Amino acid sequence: MDIDDILASVDRGPGASPESAALDHQQLTRFWIAERAVSEVLPWPAPLMERMMDRVRLQIETIEDLAASSVDTNPSHNSTSHNPNLNLRLSILQTDLARTQYIIRSLLRARLAKLTKHSMHYLVQLASRNKNPLSSASQSQSQSQTQSSASTANVSPEDSVPDISALTDTTPLSGPETSFVHAHQTLLAGHYGASFLGAFPRQLRRLDDNAGGTSMVQGPELKEVVFVRCLAAQVNCLMEGEGDGVDGEDGLGDEIGVTMRMGDVWVVRWDGVRKAWERGKWNCCNV
Amino acid sequence: MAFPLPRGIVASEIAFLAEMETVTVVPRQRLEGLELLGGPIEPLVPPRRASLPLWLALLLKRQRRANIIPPSWLHPESLSLILEVESQHQDYKNAFSPPPPLPGQPSVRDQGLEPTARPQYTLDGNRYYAAPPFLPQNTAQTTVSSGEPPALPFHWIEVGNMLLDSASDDLMDPGQIRRLLKDLREVRMAKMRSGVDVLDDAAMGGGGVALTGVGAMELGDERGFLSGVVDGLRKIGASKEQARREQLAEQRANGGYNGTQDEEEDYMEF
Repeated sequence: MDIDDILASVDRGPGASPESAALDHQQLTRFWIAERAVSEVLPWPAPLMERMMDRVRLQIETIEDLAASSVDTNPSHNSTSHNPNLNLRLSILQTDLARTQYIIRSLLRARLAKLTKHSMHYLVQLASRNKNPLSSASQSQSQSQTQSSASTANVSPEDSVPDISALTDTTPLSGPETSFVHAHQTLLAGHYGASFLGAFPRQLRRLDDNAGGTSMVQGPELKEVVFVRCLAAQVNCLMEGEGDGVDGEDGLGDEIGVTMRMGDVWVVRWDGVRKAWERGKWNCCNV
Repeated sequence: MAFPLPRGIVASEIAFLAEMETVTVVPRQRLEGLELLGGPIEPLVPPRRASLPLWLALLLKRQRRANIIPPSWLHPESLSLILEVESQHQDYKNAFSPPPPLPGQPSVRDQGLEPTARPQYTLDGNRYYAAPPFLPQNTAQTTVSSGEPPALPFHWIEVGNMLLDSASDDLMDPGQIRRLLKDLREVRMAKMRSGVDVLDDAAMGGGGVALTGVGAMELGDERGFLSGVVDGLRKIGASKEQARREQLAEQRANGGYNGTQDEEEDYMEF
């Protein structure tokens, strides 16, 4: 394919190539549907969203310029033949802008809803993946832990909120989402502490307790069903083996289940097609 | 709450998506090309046909600035043909009639062929295959591809109803079309309901239930019900699935001596 053309269009900056605008719009729409369909937060498509936000900004400027020009020219000379068309163009541009903004807003709100529902889960996930012995995050965390174990009083639920201030890789969340979810959980922990956890014995105050082998941090249910359309020649639906953990060896215990063919629409469990979705978003899409 | 709607897109969002379908219009007035966020719009020059997104076509239609040429499937003849396949044909007793093929997908008659889809590339360098609503499934074809049977596109209910509401004067015999759409919907709804028996397959890991040919709004109607049933079945069948996993793992352990030690260690964790 003409990959050079695409690279060239990237060089021209965002919004330069009309075809890329259409493609980005289709990708955004597909990502929005996927985000609405699955129960976990999907990896944040940072480059795509940056391009979209730039385009929206440019489009708003274009609309403002057009509107200003219509106000300017109206009283000075009555160009009645041109004006209805200008109004039509303005209304088309504004409708298009509103539609795009609706998708972006709905996407962000859906993500926020998932984040607030399982905030502790995502914080723990972020903190566990970014374990770096030299980072200040783990230092301060261990500091707080030694402090809490040493001092007899003042164990508050806030201590169990992982410190993520030094994170560099925040996938699947975006930067602002990460700080939001941390602030949210800190507030929540403070509230719990003030309202009832403060009255509990010290060892029962943590929010990430996993005594008895059961973690009290609840995550999203990955086994819920989704509706997908297969876009590649064929995609296998997997039964995930129990052997592979979060970052363990990939596909050790996977059993191949049903095979979807191109153009098929299936009801499958999200954990079955998740890998196919992650490996390449062209393999299948949610409907 | 940050977001009040349930998981999975709801009917109003499906209608919103259907408005991104491309339709063919005959403009009645000139309009210069526009750079929209959803892609460029070609200039409108009156007698020449143009392809526009449905929302824009409807906007122009309501202001009497354009006429919409209905897609070939939205025609009494095509619809009654599909209805006949849907209700009489032996092969489709329990399945929906086949959807229009994706670009590069072999049609129903030559099943053995390999798909020959050519991907587009996104700005991030990934391969990208278009899917509805971004396929020209609702445009009026200039050349009638002979032999290709009419098929219902993914957003058939929404596009059909929107055109009936706003552009019924552009349609051939709108009353008949309305009746046929309703009949089709009822026939297919009955199939959807009768398929509940096999939903247990989707509850098992690695299993799934095919709904090929289903429409977006039909999915939207049944989404809550289907996912509720499957989730219930999954919870009931969790022990069965666990047993199957153990059996499979045992088979693998017996298969080779090399991995036995490691896998047994794996079990110990559970």
